Amino acid sequence: MAAVSTTPTGTGRPVRPRRSRHVDPTRRSQAIAAWVLALPFVVLFLVFTAGPVLASLGMSFTDLRSTDVRDPFAVEVVGLGNYADLVQDPLFLKVTRNTLLYLLLGVPLTMAVALAAAVGLNRVTRLRGFFRVGFYLPVVTSIVAVSVVWKFLLRERGGLLTTAAGWVGLDVPGLLDSTTWALPTLVVMAVWRNFGTLMVVFLAGLQTVPREQLEAAEVDGASAWSRFRHITLPTLRPTLLFGAVITGIGYLQFFEEAFVMTKGGPLDSTRSVTFFTYDQFGFGNYGYAAAASYLLFLAIVLLTFVQFRVLREKD
Amino acid sequence: MRSRTALSLATITVVVLTGCGRSDDGAGGEEQSEEIGAGKASGTIEVWAMGTEGEVLGDFVAGFEEENPDADVEVTAIPWEAAHDKIANAITAGETPDVSLIGTTWMGEFAEAGGLMPTPEGLVDEADFFPGAWESTEVGGTSYGVPWYVETRVLYYRTDLAAKAGWDEAPQTWDELRQFAEDLQTKGGAEHGLSLQPGQTGSWQTMLPFAWSNGASLTNDEGTEYTIDSPEMTEALDHYTSYFADEVSQTRVLDPGELESGFADGVFGSFISGPWHTGLVEDAGVGADQYAVAPLPGPDGAPGTSFVGGGDLAVFEDSDNADSAWKLVQWLSEPETQQAFYDEVGDLPAVQAAWETGELAEDPQLQVFGAQLEEAQSPPAVPTWEQVAAAIDALVEQAAKGTTDPEDAVKQMQSEAASIGTGL
Repeated sequence: MAAVSTTPTGTGRPVRPRRSRHVDPTRRSQAIAAWVLALPFVVLFLVFTAGPVLASLGMSFTDLRSTDVRDPFAVEVVGLGNYADLVQDPLFLKVTRNTLLYLLLGVPLTMAVALAAAVGLNRVTRLRGFFRVGFYLPVVTSIVAVSVVWKFLLRERGGLLTTAAGWVGLDVPGLLDSTTWALPTLVVMAVWRNFGTLMVVFLAGLQTVPREQLEAAEVDGASAWSRFRHITLPTLRPTLLFGAVITGIGYLQFFEEAFVMTKGGPLDSTRSVTFFTYDQFGFGNYGYAAAASYLLFLAIVLLTFVQFRVLREKD
Repeated sequence: MRSRTALSLATITVVVLTGCGRSDDGAGGEEQSEEIGAGKASGTIEVWAMGTEGEVLGDFVAGFEEENPDADVEVTAIPWEAAHDKIANAITAGETPDVSLIGTTWMGEFAEAGGLMPTPEGLVDEADFFPGAWESTEVGGTSYGVPWYVETRVLYYRTDLAAKAGWDEAPQTWDELRQFAEDLQTKGGAEHGLSLQPGQTGSWQTMLPFAWSNGASLTNDEGTEYTIDSPEMTEALDHYTSYFADEVSQTRVLDPGELESGFADGVFGSFISGPWHTGLVEDAGVGADQYAVAPLPGPDGAPGTSFVGGGDLAVFEDSDNADSAWKLVQWLSEPETQQAFYDEVGDLPAVQAAWETGELAEDPQLQVFGAQLEEAQSPPAVPTWEQVAAAIDALVEQAAKGTTDPEDAVKQMQSEAASIGTGL
């Protein structure tokens, strides 16, 4: 309001401009119309988004269980008790480590593969559409179907990988049955499945790289690598930031692949924080599960913040 | 401004929540309901049932409607996958049907939530049912329903491979079982003599029968405390894990369908599972004369104790036609009805008298299940059972993979179960 108009008339109080003293009827009816139009969304948002979010936040401070559903207010408030229990729960610590591994392995790998595919496709002139569809296809397939097929490829008895490795004399065990290899294997599968989206984004980003600069650099004798390093990458920075943020969020919420392919095993080596939360909801520990999901939410906020700091535009 | 709104919302939440407090009115120590009235059932009785039972029950109850002309039974079939949440939501909202099929491991949760009505006095006679099945209805000493159908786990083995290995009958003790499995492998040509589940979801259903057979008990008699840590339990887990240590059983979790095809191909010489597997292995190409079922052996020649699962029928606290609903439940537990339902669907009857005549009494394969049901237990009917079971599964896996020795695994099962609590 203060920004609308202030006059230096000595009283130190802003003097309202005349026309705002009685509201213009046209503007008022416009405002009403705007609210009426916005109302369905506002109501839906409050009821189905803001309400549950606040309710789950409140829930995370109580010991609400599935057996309390008939009388949800008759529970004990435990304050930060659930959060304190979580950071001491060995299983939660294990799934946190797993989730960090998913993040640290998955994000750089997905971005590198997507960038390489995008740069390569950008140079290809023939069959570009074909390759673009091919690389993007895994993104639109059903995760359950894909996981089942991968599971068959990787299984020990009669799996393609073990059989093919046997032809060249290598002894590859069932990767998904190994506590060491199960998690990296799921990451590789997730990279294969997810890089298509980023590739399309990066491909669009590459169109914004100024051709004149690249040509000028080439004339000046800059190698292909230094052109990529000093012109293409800096121009892509905002696109990379976007890519890092959405992939990071995706890997922090890693769930479906592990759910279908390994059920979190062997020995919980592929169980993620989201999987843990899902289990706790299943056990009926609603308060505990809500607390776990808010810790994950905090982690996502923190990660996004860090990524913005590291990759933001430098003035 | 935004942060102030958030702050005040948080304050409101805290204020609202401090008005809370748990009142101790859950299941346990509740009296059985009063006897239902005489006379015929009347009015509409809404029933929910899952799976094949849900599809068939609608026509099946025609007999009940004939006997009770004023009653109208409306059956809604719901899928098993959605059933747990649907029933939980119905109880929350107070908008329940009158009767529902309830998975035996859900009884504790729904009874503790106050959704189920205690079984009326004198509705049925407890002694008519298999004891393990009846246990599944009892939460904190009060019964909240009536067993409808049951299933139990027995030993399946390839008779042709066993004959080759020099066995013409099933093993009777743990030592024999071990020898039997090894012989199937070395002389019978199987890759693994006995397939057991090495941990992960549901492995407790295969592991706990060994513990029960050995005299272990998961809780004290009152069901108030876990007593998992016992020498009997350790010995059972030790025996169970020895199959993995020596590769008599495979150490990885099998994919769906792998067990049946492996049994047909002679990869697995034997395994432990429930009645549905007779159909599955025959579909996979095992001839009816190529395999047999046998009761689980106990450690020293006495019959082993198996796991009993299945479905219970319960009437909801919010039912507005409870008397008639219980009459339907009573009708469904009459031996003749149970037998007719077996003929219709193939569900094994929970009422022992239903096994005395007809196919159930004559078929030797069914007789094995019938005999095993007399020696079978169900897990404690407590609301936290799924979580305790998951903890047991995780530790069975650790013991099977050799990362934790059985004694420590059993100690850890106890401490985790104790910290989870019974939830009653």
